[in-house]
Amino acid sequence: MKSLIQATIAILVVSALLFYAADALSAGGGKGGKNTLTIFNWGEYIDPDLLKEFEEETGIHVVYETFDSNEAMMTKIQQGGTAYDIAVPSEYMIEKMKEENLLIPLDKTKLPNLKNIDPYFLDLPFDDNNQYSIPYFWGTVGIVYNPSLVSDLDFTSWEDLWDPSLKRKVFLVDGAREVIGMGLNSLGYSLNSLDDHELRQATDKLITLAPNVKAIIGDEITPLMINNEATVALTWSGQAADMMFENEELDFAVPEEGSNLWFDNMVIPKTSKNIDGAHAFINFMLSADAGARNADYVGYSTPNIAAMDLMDEEVVTDERYYPSEEQRDTLEVYKNLGPDYLGKYNELFLEFKMSIR
Amino acid sequence: MNKLSASAKVYLIIVFIVLYAPIFYLIFYSFNSGGSMNHFESFTLEHYQAVFEDSRLLVILINTVIVALLSALISTIIGTLGAIGIVTVKDSKMRNTLLSLNNVLIVSPDVIIGASFLILFTIAGIKLGFTSVLLAHVAFSVPIVVLMVLPKLLEMNTSLIDAALDLGATKKDIMMRVILPYIQPGIFAGFFLALTYSLDDFAVTFFVTGNGFSTLSVEIYSMARAGISLTVNAISGLVFFVTVLVVIGYYFVTSRATKRTEGQQ
Repeated sequence: MKSLIQATIAILVVSALLFYAADALSAGGGKGGKNTLTIFNWGEYIDPDLLKEFEEETGIHVVYETFDSNEAMMTKIQQGGTAYDIAVPSEYMIEKMKEENLLIPLDKTKLPNLKNIDPYFLDLPFDDNNQYSIPYFWGTVGIVYNPSLVSDLDFTSWEDLWDPSLKRKVFLVDGAREVIGMGLNSLGYSLNSLDDHELRQATDKLITLAPNVKAIIGDEITPLMINNEATVALTWSGQAADMMFENEELDFAVPEEGSNLWFDNMVIPKTSKNIDGAHAFINFMLSADAGARNADYVGYSTPNIAAMDLMDEEVVTDERYYPSEEQRDTLEVYKNLGPDYLGKYNELFLEFKMSIR
Repeated sequence: MNKLSASAKVYLIIVFIVLYAPIFYLIFYSFNSGGSMNHFESFTLEHYQAVFEDSRLLVILINTVIVALLSALISTIIGTLGAIGIVTVKDSKMRNTLLSLNNVLIVSPDVIIGASFLILFTIAGIKLGFTSVLLAHVAFSVPIVVLMVLPKLLEMNTSLIDAALDLGATKKDIMMRVILPYIQPGIFAGFFLALTYSLDDFAVTFFVTGNGFSTLSVEIYSMARAGISLTVNAISGLVFFVTVLVVIGYYFVTSRATKRTEGQQ
C-alpha cells in the first residue's frame, strides 16, 4: 500500500516538474495571448527558421502542427476544435473543401507578393482565379530509376515500363489516381478520363504490366531506391528528389505521353480566427527570399519565379524538377472526378492489384 | 535458468536478438554523421544536439511523457476500482457482460475510437489539446488496466477477506491492508502497460490533438512523407534509454521490497 502511494506521489511530482519545463521552453517563443497563428502543414514541409523570422517580423506567435494525409487534415478542419488559420492541402482536396464550404476566399489586396508566382500556376481548374488557394509547392509524377541497373531504357515513354527486361523490378505507388492515370497516359488518354471504354482499355493494359510489378507500396520505396535494392519506381518528383539527394546514381524521368502535375496550396480554412495574420503569413511565404529558402530546405519545386532567381542555378535549370514549358503542356492536374468515378477508379485499381501474383 | 537445455537457450537468444536488433540498429545510426541510414560515416553527437536545440521537439517530447504518466496514473486508479467492482458482481451473466464490454474497447480499431472522440469532444465543446488527449488516453488505457488487475483479484483466496473480517477489520481496512497489497503486482503491470500504450499511440491521438499540443508519435508520423531524419533516431534513442532506466529502477525497488518482506517472514 505504501509503495502505491509513494509511486503516485512520485508520478505527480515528475509530471509537475515536466509541466514547468515545457512551460519554460515554450515561453521562449513569447506567447502573445490572442495574436497567434495556427498553421497546419505536412511534416517536414517548411524551413523552421522562416517561422521564427515571421514571428519576429510581425509579432504574431506561430503555433505549428503537422498532418500526414489530406483526408486526415480535412477531418480535423471539418470537426473544428482547433482554430487552424492556414492549411496546405493538395489540389483535389481543395475542390472537396470548396464543396463543403470549408474555405474562406482570399483578399488579393493583402497579397502583393502574389506577383512573384509564375502565372502558369495560377487560375487552374481546381480553383478558378485562385479564389481560395495559393500554390505552395508543385511537382510531377514520373519514374525514378537507376541507370546502371536498367539496360538502355531512359523512360521517355511509359512504354519502357513494359520492357521484358524489367521482370519483377517495377515498384508502384499505392494510389488509384496515380496508377490508373499512368495507364491512361500510356495510351494517350487524359488522366481525368470519364470514358468507361478508355478506363477499361487502360486497366487491361495495366494488367499486362503485372509480370513486371514487384510491389505496390508507399513511402517505403525511398530507402529501397537509395540502397539500390529497387530498380524502377513510379513516384512523385518530390519523393524522387529525396532519393536522388541520397543516391546520386538515380535519375528521374517524366514520360513524354504526359503525366500528372500536382500542387500543394495554402488556404485559409473556415475555422480561422486570425484572417489578417493568415494573409500576412501567405504574403510572407510568397516573398522571393522566403520562397527560395523554403525550396532549398524542403527540396520540392517552387512556383515562385522571383525565388528561383535567388536559388542555385543548377537546381532551377534541372528539367527533372522544373520541366520546360513544352513538357509542361503534356502535364495535367487532377480534376475532381465525383464520387461515382472515384469509386470506379478505385475498383479498377483493385482489379489491377488482384492481377498481380 | 540452469534447467534450460542448450537448444532452448539458443532459441531464447535468437528471440531476443530479433526483438532488440531493430532498436539497436536505429540507435547506432543516431550517431552517424552521414545524415541517413545507408552507411555509417563517422561518430557524431550532432543529432542529439539538434534534439536539444529544437525547443518545439523538446516540448512535444515532454508533453508526450506528461500525458503518458498522468493518463497511466488516472487509468490505473479507475481500472483498479473497476476490476474490484467487476469481481464483486455476484450475477455471473452480468459479470460476463461487463467483461465483454471491457474487451470490446480493447479490440475496437484505434481509428474508430479516435474519430468518435473527436466528434464527442467537439460536440461537448471541449477544446482540443492537452485535456482531450489526456481524456482519450485514459479512456483507451482503462480496459487494459482492468484486464491486468483482474487475474490477481480472481486468484486471491476469499478466505483472506473472511479472516480479516473475523479479526474485526473494517471495509476500509480490508481494501487498504488486504486487497490492494495483494493485487499490487497487477496494478503496477497495468500502469506500465498503460504507459506504453499512451507513449506509442498514434491513431487515437492524431484526432484529438490540436491548438498546438502534439505528441511524439503524431509528429514522427507526419515527418514520414519527407523522409525521417536522424534527429528522430536520436530522440527515439533517448526515449529508449529513459525507458530502460525506469524498468531497472522498478526492478530494484520491487526486489528490495520482496527481500524486505522475506526478511520479515
